[in-house]
Amino acid sequence: MSKPLKIKLHVNGVARELVIEPRVTLLDALREHLNLTGSKKGCDQGQCGACTVHVDGERVLACLTLAAQVEGREITTVEGLTPDGAELHPVQAAFLKHDAFQCGYCTPGQIMSAVACIREGHASSDAEIREYMSGNLCRCGAYPHIVAAVREAREALS
Amino acid sequence: MRDFTYARAASVEDARRLAQQSGAMLLAGGTTLLDLAKCGVARPDHVVDITHLKGLDAIEVTREGAHLGALAKMSHVADDKAIRAEFPAVSEALWQAASAQLRNMATIGGNLMQRTRCAYFRDPNSFAACNKRQPGSGCAARGGITRNHAVLGTSSSCIATNPGDLAVALVAFDAIVHLGDRKVPVDDFFLLPGATPDREQAIEPGEVITAVSIPASAAARRSTYLKVRDRQSYEFAAASAAVGLDLEADGRTIRDIRVALGGVATKPWRAHAVEKALKGKTLEPETVMRASLLAMEGAIAQGDNHYKIDLAPRVIARAILKVGGLA
Amino acid sequence: MTPVAAKMKRGDSTDGGAASALGSRLSRIDGPAKIKGQARYGLEHHPANMAYAVIVQSTIPSGHIRAIDSKPAEAAPGVLLVITPDNVMPLKPITTWTGAPSSDKPYLALTREINFTGQHVAAVIAETFEQASEAAGLLRIDYEEKESIPSYDDPKSGAGNPLDAMAVAWGDAGRAFAEAPVRIEQTYRTPREYNVPIEPHGLVAEWQGDMLTVWEPSQWVNFMIHNYAEWYGLPDEKVRLISPYVGGGFGSKAFALGHGAIATMAAKMLNRPVKLAVTRPQTFTAFGGRPATRQTLSLGATKEGNLLSIVQKGANETSVDGVWVEPLASVTALMYATPNLSARQNIVPVNTVTPCALRAPGENPSAWGIECAIDELSYEVGIDPVAIRLLNYAEEDPHAKKPWSTRRLREAYEEGAKAFGWAKRNPKPRSMRDGHHLIGWGVAAGTYPVRRTAGEALVRIFADGRAEVASSGIDMGQGTYTILAQTAAEAIGMPVEQIEVKLGDSALPGAPVAGGSQLANLMTGAVHKAATAARDELIGLAINDPKSPFRELQANTLSIADGVISPPRGGESMSIAELLRRLGRDKIEVQRDTLPENANSAADKLATYNTITRMRSPTDGDYSLHAWCVHFIEVRVDEDFGTVRVSRVVSALDSGRLYNPKLAESQWKGGIIMGIGQALLEEGLVDPRQGRVINNNLGDYLIATNADIPDIEVISVGVPDFHASALGGKAVGELGIVGVAPAIANAVYHATGKRIRELPITLEKLLGD
Repeated sequence: MSKPLKIKLHVNGVARELVIEPRVTLLDALREHLNLTGSKKGCDQGQCGACTVHVDGERVLACLTLAAQVEGREITTVEGLTPDGAELHPVQAAFLKHDAFQCGYCTPGQIMSAVACIREGHASSDAEIREYMSGNLCRCGAYPHIVAAVREAREALS
Repeated sequence: MRDFTYARAASVEDARRLAQQSGAMLLAGGTTLLDLAKCGVARPDHVVDITHLKGLDAIEVTREGAHLGALAKMSHVADDKAIRAEFPAVSEALWQAASAQLRNMATIGGNLMQRTRCAYFRDPNSFAACNKRQPGSGCAARGGITRNHAVLGTSSSCIATNPGDLAVALVAFDAIVHLGDRKVPVDDFFLLPGATPDREQAIEPGEVITAVSIPASAAARRSTYLKVRDRQSYEFAAASAAVGLDLEADGRTIRDIRVALGGVATKPWRAHAVEKALKGKTLEPETVMRASLLAMEGAIAQGDNHYKIDLAPRVIARAILKVGGLA
Repeated sequence: MTPVAAKMKRGDSTDGGAASALGSRLSRIDGPAKIKGQARYGLEHHPANMAYAVIVQSTIPSGHIRAIDSKPAEAAPGVLLVITPDNVMPLKPITTWTGAPSSDKPYLALTREINFTGQHVAAVIAETFEQASEAAGLLRIDYEEKESIPSYDDPKSGAGNPLDAMAVAWGDAGRAFAEAPVRIEQTYRTPREYNVPIEPHGLVAEWQGDMLTVWEPSQWVNFMIHNYAEWYGLPDEKVRLISPYVGGGFGSKAFALGHGAIATMAAKMLNRPVKLAVTRPQTFTAFGGRPATRQTLSLGATKEGNLLSIVQKGANETSVDGVWVEPLASVTALMYATPNLSARQNIVPVNTVTPCALRAPGENPSAWGIECAIDELSYEVGIDPVAIRLLNYAEEDPHAKKPWSTRRLREAYEEGAKAFGWAKRNPKPRSMRDGHHLIGWGVAAGTYPVRRTAGEALVRIFADGRAEVASSGIDMGQGTYTILAQTAAEAIGMPVEQIEVKLGDSALPGAPVAGGSQLANLMTGAVHKAATAARDELIGLAINDPKSPFRELQANTLSIADGVISPPRGGESMSIAELLRRLGRDKIEVQRDTLPENANSAADKLATYNTITRMRSPTDGDYSLHAWCVHFIEVRVDEDFGTVRVSRVVSALDSGRLYNPKLAESQWKGGIIMGIGQALLEEGLVDPRQGRVINNNLGDYLIATNADIPDIEVISVGVPDFHASALGGKAVGELGIVGVAPAIANAVYHATGKRIRELPITLEKLLGD
């Protein structure tokens, strides 16, 4: 058995220390070790997008990222999207307004993906939003409302 | 996932050294390694993290061509203005691959090391027979569900499809894989399964992909990547084509043409026969469609995947006519 | 027919009134918790000292386990326990959802007998998830394989077992078909389809003495605690199941399943909390999805297109050790007026997990058949596909011979066709094109019954001006939290922001299954009743209590609006909070149920909430109760590649009154989107030798992505239907998917001239000539 690693993760602006096996994914580190369950496990194999978080400002899948691998990088989860917690991020507000979710399980991933999608400049048209939001599956079928929410948030953020 | 040790490489040299340990595997983007480790296909004893290496993520485009650092992210290359201008097929192959999140993780070098999506390969608990996983164990895919399996380049030991998109564009435009000082043409980098399907790439233990270069060409500048699949996005190709075209001054005569296929072969598949048949010919639909059929010479259907033999030439033809302004 | 007063609310945006009133487009009140990542789903509870369980599944389709060597797994780091058929704890048999005993033998969650590939055969419990996962791969299982039947296409499966109880017949359908001037006879097929909610199944189980607490996503809290309680021989009160958020279910989360038995027994054996997450691949066999179905439909008609006969012969797969019936005649025998009909169905046992409910079980594949066949008939006789449906419009329930309570299907055709521009359609196949794309327009109708079970709710009004609604009923995205807050707010006369709704906890008043699209209707009814009673009690106190300032007014009644109590003819008003303070009351608490007064004992309640035996059929009573819809769909088919993309959808739906149109529209669209995936993508691929679903993951079992879905227009044509429910709603959640796949297939035919009768419509079926 390999030696547990003592690592320090910067999550949502806070340094968090944890002792884990090297094989622990970022997703399991967040959910099982750091009590940050906003990032969801939908497939654990890179096929659904529910675990989308930002690493150094870019959207990635936490289920295919080792926790150890992102030591020293800035990790943002849905819990850290609005650090003060007082107000909703424009993307969150647009999701609520357009009813861009039902069960809510894919939603944190959708929101993290949408924030990045707008930041990347990949939200210039509905067609582009659809393509660049396709890495986040939604079984409830909120897609048209997600597109509407991203479109509106893009305007709010521009 | 099995237990493994984790080490961060401090330099490329360090990475090479660490990679020579028995059971060591490099972690670049992690999208293949961790996925396959969870399936029980990849069983590393040591994971060597190269994601923090500096200076390997450059994207440079000069008159000679493109130089892509092995750790350049797929998304960054896809969105690079110069790549989009000089190598549109490369950009298009990249942004149509996987998802935005995966493209932010996966690297150019790592993408070339992507493994097949063959369901039998990916499920060692259920299917013991897989020559790719365990040489000599057989091939569970034969006689199974073969809708996504290859029709070109297969052998009696393996019919697994290479899943790449980027690699198809690279093969079309004669890219070079840099393994440090050793340089391998990308078409030679990918190996046919033959009797050794476990060996997919011409890379030795301890070697590290450091860069991929693509020579500039008129055909690369006028190129496209067309990907056909059941789902509109986030899926591997049923058939895809990277095509580049260079026309004579008359705007009709084909001076140079590049055609490569994805989703239908055991490796990214250069369709030389199609290119040869069209060079010097006039660009017109009938000629293009007839020539595109040549790509399927030697194709062998496995049952469920017969449609690929019909589909692939149509994809090629459409791609050629599209870059030629006729579709 | 139902009298509908003009002033009654239609449940659309024209309702007027307060922005939060029932019928308004209030945003979901559980939304903020979900979008901030604060909503805790079942697997997100972490009791101290929790261990992790990982399941191992069989790799053969049939046979038995000769031996399991669990020593290497037991010796692996961190492993606490390995459960195999050799040490599995026998549990007591449960009562099924139909109220019948499942068996007289103990329930064994793991057995040596193997009936399908992917059957649970062992579980490994370790200190960490990683350790349990690795050790799960170390079990050495020696199987003795027997001959198996991978699917009903295997000749060994035979024709299956006839289900006489499912047979429907009137007239002489066989003869009428034989003598009909126009005859259509075709077979329509659907593959195995899977629920794949994005939240996979799993639970956290913790024992404290003989008290079991389970955090698990559930569509039916009361039935699941009953399952757990029966397994362990406990009264229901000894089990608490907590399920405030459910990450999608679509029919798959109503029962305690094998993994639930394993996790709870592991927690008991180890005397510590255990988390068990079914892996995504394992979800394909940890419970069943929709079975494969096939049906041969014979339609006899006059040359003018009037139906003379419908003959249906259907079959669905089931397992070798369980029975699942996918009722294939449910739409066939309902949609059209025909003087003769015969429908028969077989179930064919194969080596699979027992199939189960997936969104609109029965109605979905049933509509696939009849709505394709009627389209074929329309071309055969040369009549517009909408016109032939109106020509054969059923003015009453042709099977039950009862009037519809409401059937706004004509209006759905009319409004849908208008919004879609159907009148401009050239009926000729291959008549529309845009570059390489052949464009086709298709139509199909759908229906879903109104199921009725009683419910119960607790309403509390507090002295601080807040109110609380509580029920064990659940919200998996349908909007239960929101519409119950709206219902209570309206009934009491309070701002909706002041109302808290507590759901999904077996400690709360009971509720039947969130399935069959019934929960919104039955729970709004129960909450309305309880909240109205609470309001009446409040007014009674205000009028009669000596401490009340209203007492001297000698009023017969008072009004309450926006949390303020006012006398009828002017005078000083007072907030509810202020009145309760003056009265010295900390709260008013009222619990009401909607069970019949002559059958509302404790035993009746258990039967109502723990079984489906008290669910009233849609034709119980004077009327036949159903929701209706019509989908108009445009597809673009690449003529070279055979790829089909849906480019436009207009659906007109009659779900009666909508309690919150914003949320109902989301559910309708969700059903339509699942229907698009069903039509074009979804198919469980079963290895013919080994019986494995080889695309058992979200990369290979394709569900629609965002890019597959166009904007969707939904039009509500419903009116309140008070025969259907207390507040006038009909079915919503399962309605939207019914008819989508045939509308797409019909559009594909219009685009290409090719009739695809086997789902999904993948490109190879359209390649070639």
